[in-house]
Amino acid sequence: MAGITRKRGMKEQLSVKHLLGIKDLTVSDIQLIFDTASNFKDVINRPIKKVPSLRDITIANLFFENSTRTRLSFELAEKRLSADIINFSASSSSVSKGETLIDTVNNILAMKVDMVVMRHPKPGAAIFLSKHVDCKIINAGDGTHEHPTQALLDAFSIRERTGTLKGVKVVIIGDIMHSRVALSNIFCLKKMGAEVMVCGPVTLIPKYISELGVKVENDLSKALNWCDVANVLRIQLERQDIRYFPSLREYVMMYGINKRILDKLKKKIILMHPGPINRGVELSSDAADSGHSIILQQVENGVAVRMAVMYLLAGRIN
Amino acid sequence: MKVLLKSARIVGSEGKFENKRVDILIEKGVITKVAASISEPKGARVIKSKNLHVSPGWFDMKVNFRDPGDEVKEDLHSGARAAAAGGFTGVLLMPSTNPPIQSKSEVEYVLKKSASTPVDIFPAGALSVHIKGEDITEMFDMKKAGAIAFTDDRKAVKDSGLMLRAMQYCQNIGSTLISYANDPGITGNNSVNEGIHSTIAGFKGTPALAEEIFTDRDIRICKYAEGKIHFATVTTASAIRLIKDAKKAGVKVSCEVTAHHIFFDDSMIAGYDTNYKVKPPLRSKEDVAALRKAVNEGIIDVICSDHSPQDIESKDTEFDFASSGIIGLETSFAAANTVLDGNENVGMMVDLFARNPRKILGLDMPQIKTGESANLTIFDPSHKWTFTDEDIISRSYNTPFVGTEFTGVVIGIINKGQLVLRESLIHEVVN
Repeated sequence: MAGITRKRGMKEQLSVKHLLGIKDLTVSDIQLIFDTASNFKDVINRPIKKVPSLRDITIANLFFENSTRTRLSFELAEKRLSADIINFSASSSSVSKGETLIDTVNNILAMKVDMVVMRHPKPGAAIFLSKHVDCKIINAGDGTHEHPTQALLDAFSIRERTGTLKGVKVVIIGDIMHSRVALSNIFCLKKMGAEVMVCGPVTLIPKYISELGVKVENDLSKALNWCDVANVLRIQLERQDIRYFPSLREYVMMYGINKRILDKLKKKIILMHPGPINRGVELSSDAADSGHSIILQQVENGVAVRMAVMYLLAGRIN
Repeated sequence: MKVLLKSARIVGSEGKFENKRVDILIEKGVITKVAASISEPKGARVIKSKNLHVSPGWFDMKVNFRDPGDEVKEDLHSGARAAAAGGFTGVLLMPSTNPPIQSKSEVEYVLKKSASTPVDIFPAGALSVHIKGEDITEMFDMKKAGAIAFTDDRKAVKDSGLMLRAMQYCQNIGSTLISYANDPGITGNNSVNEGIHSTIAGFKGTPALAEEIFTDRDIRICKYAEGKIHFATVTTASAIRLIKDAKKAGVKVSCEVTAHHIFFDDSMIAGYDTNYKVKPPLRSKEDVAALRKAVNEGIIDVICSDHSPQDIESKDTEFDFASSGIIGLETSFAAANTVLDGNENVGMMVDLFARNPRKILGLDMPQIKTGESANLTIFDPSHKWTFTDEDIISRSYNTPFVGTEFTGVVIGIINKGQLVLRESLIHEVVN
């Protein structure tokens, strides 16, 4: 199938050497990732779900922060592309012994690794790493900064439903301040011409966020009535060092989405969630499992989009 | 030692030679002759340059030399060399060493160990015991030993009651209290300015509000106690407004700004370069403009370096894990002179760098007159040069200024009978 066999000097290339954040991507980069992801989505729906594109490539998945689904999604994408992979997580690592990030990664690279997929608890960690080590880096989430593959798969999933991102109204709901998903989504959707709103308690919305060209709304029902798509974030109490709202109970009262609220809206909106859902907190079960939800399509698209990103970055390995 | 300065313009000294170009002869550390022209005596070191300036020795009101405790980053001798290279003949040493300068013995240690350095190192004592913000230190005993000011350095005094007692006690012993105004409840662990750049970089950020609240509080405490306060490292337009109003109302307030806070704004954090991680953080473009204006209007009294050496291990890491601070002694004059067009207003620069710090701290002003001991700085405010690794004298290398083109250069200092010249620079400057 066209474009799936990796050739050196591919015609279409990303403008970047690493995927550190959506910030650095051009509109044509995002377009190219979407087109490539569409092809890979066909692949993973065939009886033989595997292509040999990255069979000469070794990828290290470095997770300095807990993750289940992002790690699984990357790992599956790597296996579908026939890459060799190694996994490394902070709990089983030498990080606790005081080794620096650069030393850890260089030790792994010494074993001839071509690409690193890294999740890290601190903002800018992937950018820091890219300045110090010699390999392709994919940011799988750096603290409260960016989570570019999540934003790409979210935008890809919306586009799949709406045909285009231009003019689509997307509201991101929840803890915007501690969310790398929100920031990457804002960058990605704005670049692709969507209208973006953020919604949540004032204590969880960065004061200067509107300077990114997004609307700010604190009233959930107003936000839902405005949007075509609602991307609901997980409330991440583990990332909050202090209390920004008094209790989950009160959060649910103000920002929890359930079927009753969705049925009252004038139009049928698309409901998204980056997972894992806190059922009964940001989303009730009857909402999460309703016809509004494309949450499982997001997961499926996640594999295709990550395959596309790794395939395109591998095309830039000399 | 005989030194002859040829055709040097004297700035900032009282007397008939102020602003005149004269020759100055210094023998054994004493100014023996000031005249329109002095013939070269035998064996004298002659310093000549197109645009030679000389002023009373400069004074940096905020330096950290990490001694005792972290000598791998800096010690009193390496710090003094960096100070001399930056044109300073005197510095106020912050107390946040390990252990802190909090009793007579630490004060004596600093004075004894630095006795031979060409730079006068004046210790500031800690305001609270172990810099914990609970009880006041033995300020009187430290003052007797040689401490000239009291502060908890970069740790804000959270307890307003403690701040009031410290202010009253400082007044009692006739010393200067220095406040680092930053409400820790608002700042939290955040190390960059809250604004669009922190939002884009994924940092929570600390708002200007934290500085505004504590500046306001400490002005009120100062007014109530009828005391005197100096604000360290002011960074925001809102704090400047408060200080301006307080000065107008007759409250005894002074303040300083660092050279890096008037040189860089918070857009520099975009690349996560930890050399831009400083405390307080670099602020917005609007704040930087307000600070520069306040310097020109005389609301800001002093420019300091906030010299904070860090080793590579503390800096070459993820931004959140990195320690704060930059070394600034070698660059603070050049950086400030460049952004303030100091060449057009050398008198103001000398006020900021030499005269005002000594006034605030109650120190004698060195004079450039026959019979006085030489405590002076030799510089050229118009010389253009580029700061490189080679110009770093400090034991640490944490500076974002490498590669920066500056206007204004330090040629050397004379103090305590010692001449320190930047030889690499003098060749460029001397004809």
